[in-house]
Amino acid sequence: MSRRQHRSAGLVIPALVANSPLRHADPRAKLFLSFLASLAVMLPLERLGIFMALYALLLLWARLLPSVLRQIWRLRVLLVVIFVVDWLFISADLAVIIVMRIVLLVSVFAFFVSTTAPIELRLALERLRVPYRYAFSLSLAFQSVGLLQQEWRAIYEAQVARGIRFVGDRRRALPQLRDFVALTVPAIVLTTRRAWGMTEAAYARGFDAPHRSAYHTLAMRRTDWALVLAALLVTGGLLLI
Amino acid sequence: MLLHADNVAYRYPQNQRGLPPVSLDIAPGDAWLVTGPSGCGKSTLARCLTGLIPHLYRGELTGAVWLDGLNTATAHLWELTERAGLVFQNPAAQMLASTVEDEIVFGLENLGLSRSDIAVRLELALAQFDLAGLRERSPLTLSGGEQQKVALAATMARQPALLVLDEPLSMLDSNASRDLVASLAACAGEGAALVICEHRCEQLQSLPGLRTFLLDGTADASIPDFAASRGAAQGDAAPFAPAPPFTLNVEHLGVTLDGREVLRDVSFTVPGGQILAIVGRNGVGKTTLLRALVGLQRHTGTVDVAGERPDLALTFQNPDVQLFNATVRDEILYKLPAPNMTYYAWLLRVLRLNIYETTPPLLLSEGEKKRVALATALMRAPRHGLLLDEPSLGQDAAHKARLMTLARALADTGRLVIMTTHDHTLAAQADRILLMDNGTFIADAPPAPLSPPSTVYRLPSTRSS
Repeated sequence: MSRRQHRSAGLVIPALVANSPLRHADPRAKLFLSFLASLAVMLPLERLGIFMALYALLLLWARLLPSVLRQIWRLRVLLVVIFVVDWLFISADLAVIIVMRIVLLVSVFAFFVSTTAPIELRLALERLRVPYRYAFSLSLAFQSVGLLQQEWRAIYEAQVARGIRFVGDRRRALPQLRDFVALTVPAIVLTTRRAWGMTEAAYARGFDAPHRSAYHTLAMRRTDWALVLAALLVTGGLLLI
Repeated sequence: MLLHADNVAYRYPQNQRGLPPVSLDIAPGDAWLVTGPSGCGKSTLARCLTGLIPHLYRGELTGAVWLDGLNTATAHLWELTERAGLVFQNPAAQMLASTVEDEIVFGLENLGLSRSDIAVRLELALAQFDLAGLRERSPLTLSGGEQQKVALAATMARQPALLVLDEPLSMLDSNASRDLVASLAACAGEGAALVICEHRCEQLQSLPGLRTFLLDGTADASIPDFAASRGAAQGDAAPFAPAPPFTLNVEHLGVTLDGREVLRDVSFTVPGGQILAIVGRNGVGKTTLLRALVGLQRHTGTVDVAGERPDLALTFQNPDVQLFNATVRDEILYKLPAPNMTYYAWLLRVLRLNIYETTPPLLLSEGEKKRVALATALMRAPRHGLLLDEPSLGQDAAHKARLMTLARALADTGRLVIMTTHDHTLAAQADRILLMDNGTFIADAPPAPLSPPSTVYRLPSTRSS
């Protein structure tokens, strides 16, 4: 089977875009921007269009447009299905606005994960008064999404290497189901084991210690405040017009 | 006394396995090698000594462990982990951060150190384990050996009074192993106590004052002799059908991953009937080469047998990615329409899996799972042979001997066996050794007689600049 056939559909955690001017922006500013952009899905069609055009300009300036477009492209089948179903059963207007909302949310996700390392998310959450235990767990989960993709591929390859072929007769449901089990059982086992391994590793290095210190620190700079202000003005303006 | 274990024993709730009663006293500066057959409870002992058992496990613990005056059952876990550091067997499973630097920093922040102290210890750890060039890399993109070094650096940077290492050498090349042993000797010299659970005992002999604890309660037992254990698995004829003569041709093989040239212009031929060991330091592309040979890795150049893609089976470093059936029998016979049951029985016997035939594979020990994965690959009788990625991980000397018996039986039928390994006792039994460095082969030679690692690996310099 070719590598192309086992590529997963759906969102992936992309690599950090190192040359983006927003890569080293304060993660709190980026979280705030993402939050406001997510609120913009409530805008009516025309204003949503304006917001998305401005958002696209921001992504273009931040050199994030290719990364974001790749994420949207991965969802093309889902978007087409949603558009067609809404168009046929409800209305063209609704079909357009639903698809635009999904595209905006995907863009927000891609923007954030393309510019923010898991540890930066943890630091941002800690500064926002989220308890360390939860901030750490969230950042670990965020980081592990990419890991799950790698493991799924490793399992697939391991099964192919032992002679299992995943392209079979579609009329034979039981063998197909067993092949699916060949992928899902190791995936569940590996995920559970990895989660447990991480728990042990964290505790073995003092995760529960009451006297932590911080090596990395965050500081809002002028450009971060400017980003927050611009996001507030644009979103607030469009909501209040 | 830094640690006093008084008749401590443990049983896991999900099966009857665990740790038999153990008593042990460890003073500052002591170095203990804990050895014993696969599945004897070495990893469980490591968890008992560091307090993870009983804090994170709900099995049945008897006896007591006192660490620096603290009872491990009643003290806070963080108090125990400040005094005892544990490096686990599987380095990939213990990576918590998105960069090597943050992986080391995590444990230092939990000690409450000042920023400047963390910076000093971070730089020392990076230098000690030759990780400075990898500090911004994600640990998940590193090779198994490099991940092992990161795990060691992250724990040793915390400078615990007791350092417990579970198979620390299993994924390290001979240079990294030697460097680690030197680091451990330095730690012991500064007063830290060491407990090392390891099969590759021979490399640890240079540790001053090393004492051996054989995990059946006998202290200072002799180290298992690999050569002596070879005979245990021999004298059992293999029911393989002979393969017609063939040659595997690899020409100008190249692989680039994430813009990094992992393999470049690799060319070699292997005739059927040969056991080939591929050795080299961590991260040089050994696993990538195997993946390319079996067709799982996109590459340039060609891999063929008489113009066709070879039919090779590959067993992976981590057996968990392959096992999913309800019993060992189902696992090995999965999707085989008319399995040769004589061959099946022979595989079970040679790999010592008879008693586990009805056991779920995922409940077995790491070494046992590895043998089940090997049996699944062999049972489908690949026409041209078998590729083994680090087959000796988690295997004791007796099982390594059985593995080589099996490899030799396969080779004697005209098939080839290609294995990547850091285990020089295993490599020394191959017919030919290829030494890799910087993504290509730099030496091709028959192995030296069973000898210290320096003569096996160090044909030319293996150190990258």
